[in-house]
Amino acid sequence: MDTIVSIRDVVKEYSLGKVVVPALRGVNLEVKKGEFISIAGPSGSGKTTLLNLIGCVDTATRGLVSVTGQDTAQLSESALTRLRLNTIGFIFQSFNLVSVLTVYQNVEFPLLLQRKLNGAQRKERVTQLLTQVGLLDHAKHRPNELSGGQRQRVAIARALVADPQIVLADEPTANLDSATGAAIIDLMKELNHTKGTTFIFSTHDHRVMQHAQSVVRLADGLISGRETAAQAVAHSLGVEQAKAS
Amino acid sequence: MFRYFQIAARNLWQHRLRTSLVGLAVALVTAVFVLLTGISNGTQNTMITASTTLLTGHINVAGFYKVTPGQGAPVVTEAKKVRAIIEKEVPEVESIVERGRGWARLVSDSSSLQVGLAGIDIETEKGFDGVLQIESGDLSKMKETDAVLLFQKQAEKLGYKENGKKVPVKVGDRLTISAPTPRGTNNTLDVTVVAIAKDMGLMSQFSIFMNNTGLRRLYQMNDDTTGALQIQVKHFNPNDRTGLTALRERIGKVLQQHNYTLLDNNKPVPFWMKFQDITRESWTGQRIDLTLWSDEASFLENFAKIISVLFGMVIFTLVVIVSIGIFAVMWVAVRERTREIGTLRAIGMQRFSVMTMFQVEGVILGVIGALAGAVMGLAIAGLLNAAHIKIAEGMQLFLFSDHLILLPTANLVAWGVGIITVVIGLASIVPSVIASLKKPVEAMSHSG
Repeated sequence: MDTIVSIRDVVKEYSLGKVVVPALRGVNLEVKKGEFISIAGPSGSGKTTLLNLIGCVDTATRGLVSVTGQDTAQLSESALTRLRLNTIGFIFQSFNLVSVLTVYQNVEFPLLLQRKLNGAQRKERVTQLLTQVGLLDHAKHRPNELSGGQRQRVAIARALVADPQIVLADEPTANLDSATGAAIIDLMKELNHTKGTTFIFSTHDHRVMQHAQSVVRLADGLISGRETAAQAVAHSLGVEQAKAS
Repeated sequence: MFRYFQIAARNLWQHRLRTSLVGLAVALVTAVFVLLTGISNGTQNTMITASTTLLTGHINVAGFYKVTPGQGAPVVTEAKKVRAIIEKEVPEVESIVERGRGWARLVSDSSSLQVGLAGIDIETEKGFDGVLQIESGDLSKMKETDAVLLFQKQAEKLGYKENGKKVPVKVGDRLTISAPTPRGTNNTLDVTVVAIAKDMGLMSQFSIFMNNTGLRRLYQMNDDTTGALQIQVKHFNPNDRTGLTALRERIGKVLQQHNYTLLDNNKPVPFWMKFQDITRESWTGQRIDLTLWSDEASFLENFAKIISVLFGMVIFTLVVIVSIGIFAVMWVAVRERTREIGTLRAIGMQRFSVMTMFQVEGVILGVIGALAGAVMGLAIAGLLNAAHIKIAEGMQLFLFSDHLILLPTANLVAWGVGIITVVIGLASIVPSVIASLKKPVEAMSHSG
């Protein structure tokens, strides 16, 4: 499989006044095309920072971040925006839908930004995606008329509508109940299988982790290991039991 | 672009209260713009109509006759010949009326006034009765040799006390006019008040109308002498000064070809402001002075300009205030929607597009507010005109009318809507740019 994301010796530091806070302290990671991987770790371990760097919405302090073979540090702001539009789909923890647009319009928005399809083609594509996420009947609803699970499904449809090579999901199930969360992960997995889209999602929930092909474990801004889903779940449960005792 | 418009419109709708308040502020400023420019334009228009009917032609063939270098009279000799030349050689001329000119003391039984005299032949004066509002008397009686027309305020000033109460001069009362003649002697003429007209601001403060023959008799002039030939041109456009100036130059050349000498002094001022200069010059005999309406009415026009400037300052201040309001509203909108901006940037919206989206919001607010304000302003202007509101005496001087006249033309309203929309659009640029410059990750993590 081809490498689609390559992270080498990446350091990310934030300045809080005069204090420099390291979020990532030399991370190395390779993600192959079509992988369905999870980034796991406790809060503050650097999961979101790593996803932000892969998603080109933030820049590394040091090191190389390469997406689809392009060194993101060498790209202009405009080129990075185009890369996000055409290559990456985002699913956010709190859905981040445009509240004044309908479900249909939210999903259609990336296509309008792309300007590749005409009206009829856009309609066909949006309808297909909404059917896939089971929300065609809700196409004319506004986000505030939907449940959390439905909103996340809209976010998934929006992330996939422009046919991205990579979908990044930051704790996609964190704001959902377990049943809805499982359904969302199933949906993502199905799309990964059917379309071959690479999914990278962060979570600290072992019930979600178990669906991943592999789990990248982050702790204190460093990758502590890459495990299979079963190993990761066992690891998480062990940590939880240790905490409980 | 349609989607940006849709997002902007829906955001405005979502924050209806805020949108309504700001929209109302924009509408009020536009309405004030329409009203103030309406008053300014109404004043200008009244001034032009009144001055080009009562005071001056569009172009005036006037002049000075000097018996000695230090003594001049504002007259044109051989008036009929001059008139015939112009009528024959200048096809742009629509009509010419003769106006006597003078400066005299008007004396009643108990008071007197220094006034300018305008001699008219009422039968040849077009539009005279349309401009003057006769309060009492009969304008047609101005054809009597001893007839004079006064304005209300003048009639009051010349009035007399009766049973301890001041009674204004009435129609039928006799007055005396006393004036120095070109021969250097004083002459008097008894006249009868045949009509009293409503005041017309500054214009009615200093001049009266009298029969042209009576004026010639007062100044002991023959029938072929007049103060000025007032020319009304075809298709008069008060704003086309260049065209009128060119026509004046041509009339000057035509008269020079017929051996008339033109006055060197061509300052753009009324004839009575030229006396001092004229009497300092060494020439004697007749010199022709060609003036535009704007020269003769320059002292009136200055007041109209002052009004325009004052109103302009008021409008400017209001526009600045409302722009600050728009700026603040857009700023708040940017802050409130920072996370949304971050999301849109993350999913691939370019900075320029984010800026456009917010800009569209400002422009929609500006256009709707300005259009609503224009409609509101036009409606109020219509109501005020219909109400025929009497204005304070002090203001009448400068507004050239005893009642409020608003003339908000389509052109002015369109300019108002355009200017206010552009200013509002500009006011929303800075918040839009700020929105577009936000890093997606910072915008998405924004709280508050």
